[in-house]
Amino acid sequence: MGTDENNNKMTILVIEDDPVITEFLCTGLKYEGYEVTPKTAAKAGLDALQQATFDLIILDVMLPDIDGFEVCRHIRDRGSDIPILMLTVKKEISDRVKGLDSGADDYLTKPFCFDELLARIRALLRRSGKIRENKKLQAEAIVLDMETREVSRNGKRIDLTPTEFGLLELFMRHPHRVFTRETLLNRVLGYDYDGGTNIIDVHISHLRNKLGDRPPRLIRTIYAMGYAFYPEETGT
Amino acid sequence: MRAWEKLSLQARLGLLYAVLLIFSVVLVGCYSYWNIWQLFINNKSSHLRAQAKPIIEHWLIDNDLAKLDNPHLKLNPQNAFILARDLTSRDTVAIVLNRKGDIIANGKRLPEEPEAPIPDKRYFRRALSGENEVTYRGQVNGKPVLVMLIPLRPQPASSRIFGVIQMSTLLTDIKEILFRHGAMLVSLVAIILILGIVTGFWLIGVSLKDLQGLLTSCDRISKGDFSQRVPVKNRRDEIGQLAISFNRMMEKLEATFASQQRFVANVAHELMTPLTGLRGSLEVLLRGAQDDPSAMARLSKGMYKEVNRLIRLCEQLLGLSQLESSSNVHKQPIILSEFFNEFKADVQMLAGGRSLTIQQGPYVKVSADPDLLKQILLNLLSNALRYSPTETPVVISWKLLPEQVEIRVSDQGQGMDAETLSHIFEPFYQGKATVVSGDKGIGLGLSLAKSMVEAHEGTIRIESEPGKGTTVSFTLPLE
Repeated sequence: MGTDENNNKMTILVIEDDPVITEFLCTGLKYEGYEVTPKTAAKAGLDALQQATFDLIILDVMLPDIDGFEVCRHIRDRGSDIPILMLTVKKEISDRVKGLDSGADDYLTKPFCFDELLARIRALLRRSGKIRENKKLQAEAIVLDMETREVSRNGKRIDLTPTEFGLLELFMRHPHRVFTRETLLNRVLGYDYDGGTNIIDVHISHLRNKLGDRPPRLIRTIYAMGYAFYPEETGT
Repeated sequence: MRAWEKLSLQARLGLLYAVLLIFSVVLVGCYSYWNIWQLFINNKSSHLRAQAKPIIEHWLIDNDLAKLDNPHLKLNPQNAFILARDLTSRDTVAIVLNRKGDIIANGKRLPEEPEAPIPDKRYFRRALSGENEVTYRGQVNGKPVLVMLIPLRPQPASSRIFGVIQMSTLLTDIKEILFRHGAMLVSLVAIILILGIVTGFWLIGVSLKDLQGLLTSCDRISKGDFSQRVPVKNRRDEIGQLAISFNRMMEKLEATFASQQRFVANVAHELMTPLTGLRGSLEVLLRGAQDDPSAMARLSKGMYKEVNRLIRLCEQLLGLSQLESSSNVHKQPIILSEFFNEFKADVQMLAGGRSLTIQQGPYVKVSADPDLLKQILLNLLSNALRYSPTETPVVISWKLLPEQVEIRVSDQGQGMDAETLSHIFEPFYQGKATVVSGDKGIGLGLSLAKSMVEAHEGTIRIESEPGKGTTVSFTLPLE
């Protein structure tokens, strides 16, 4: 996702005055592998933009000093074509039109879903050519085709359930990261899944069997914490 | 009654009008008919009397009956017949009756002369008892006649009556005239009625048409179109007046509705920001940040803040709605100097290290709800503290006005421009000023303060100059 092979992190400038929203944006985006610079006012944001280059701007419309639309126009007037994602509470179409007219590339109304925000960021980055998202994930002779949702190891096809596919995708995208069972449950089965976390152990065990994953395992159990994926090239 | 209530207003008015019209026209017609009839009868009877009087007097003298001392006042068939014959003419016939009521003489001789009706005992007795003008209507062979009874006495006003003359005259000619008159009257009434009812219905229809317009508008309004207005045709009449005041009411309603909608939109907007923070933080936590204790701590602190913000918002909204009913205002006498001594101790915490001065004013007793008064002051004070630099003082003072006291809260902060001032009491309106200390408010403080002051029948105003500071003053009634 955010991390590409060269460890060249995508940089995002967040201009948002609400501290709580800024906080979760920073934490969540960093977690997804982006480098985030938060600014609480338009002027500070514009200054930061002159000092460093960013790959994307997340811009709140209601800022204390300058209106978000104005900021947008400012940035475009400088000749920058950096992707801008606007955040606002207003739902009126005229506002969206105004946002897009002022030079924003996309528009998200509060309260938004974090997954949607991530999807839009990815789409914007892709459109601007900043990332070429791999259609296929590869590690340890395992190939994950994101389009056809087909999995193979050493050229042999493996049939996975959607849950198992989701788990494998998560592991392959974030090698070496330790996921707790709770997090895996939330990410793969959704936030409102009510069952216990044991179900994750069951899915992991199925996944290991299907992959032919024998010790020393690719998907390792980390004692008292959860699971992590260690591809051989980088692991141990 | 049911059927009557089922009719439309137009039908009811029309029917009522028609009935009234018929009734009055028929009444007038009947009266005029009766009047003319009476006139003719009176004319005829006075004519008869005038005709009879000289003949009777001559007859009395000729027959020696005019003497009061004549003891033998008696009728005999001979002299009675002369009298009857003299009184009889082409359309009038006379008969003479003695005191017993027997017919002594009948004046009819020629076949073209009319028949005399049989005397009526009742009228005869009245004539015999001395009544001079007994006139009544009777019938002979189906033809109407006017009958007049004249008592015979030796001298006028003498009480000795020795007979009665019955004169009768045919009324066929009068009847004929009356019939023609009546026919004319009836046709006239009919024309008036038709014209009256037709124009009446038309008039009612025309004036109710505007009412119909009102009805259509009401219908559209009930479907949610508050921009509906009724066309006003005639500003003078009642329906025009109704339309005008209806339109005025609609304007008020539309404005109220719009401000209500704006308010709800603002509330929703105000709710969205903390909810965005909550939702986003939760999502980020669930996605995995929960595994990182420091991220967990930061995010949950933020969420705690947002929840508090939501609670504060709800409390203020509740406060606003409670103020709508005056029963929630519990006024009691308050001595201002004592109140402020206590208040200062309470708010020292809020002020933090800030310099808060309470300038004691004159000794006054106001009538106010202490909790609300505290709320008002807290709201004003937190604004003053929020938008003024930490080293500047915030001063509370009061002064006496006729029948009320004015309390002032002044700061030496950023102040506001005229544009901001004009909106400052609107719910959720927040100026562009940057918060110096503390967190950003919700934008309800001043509108809440205004409602609370108004619940005390006071007024609130705000003076401000950019860069110099702001003074909010409100009045409270004296005890």
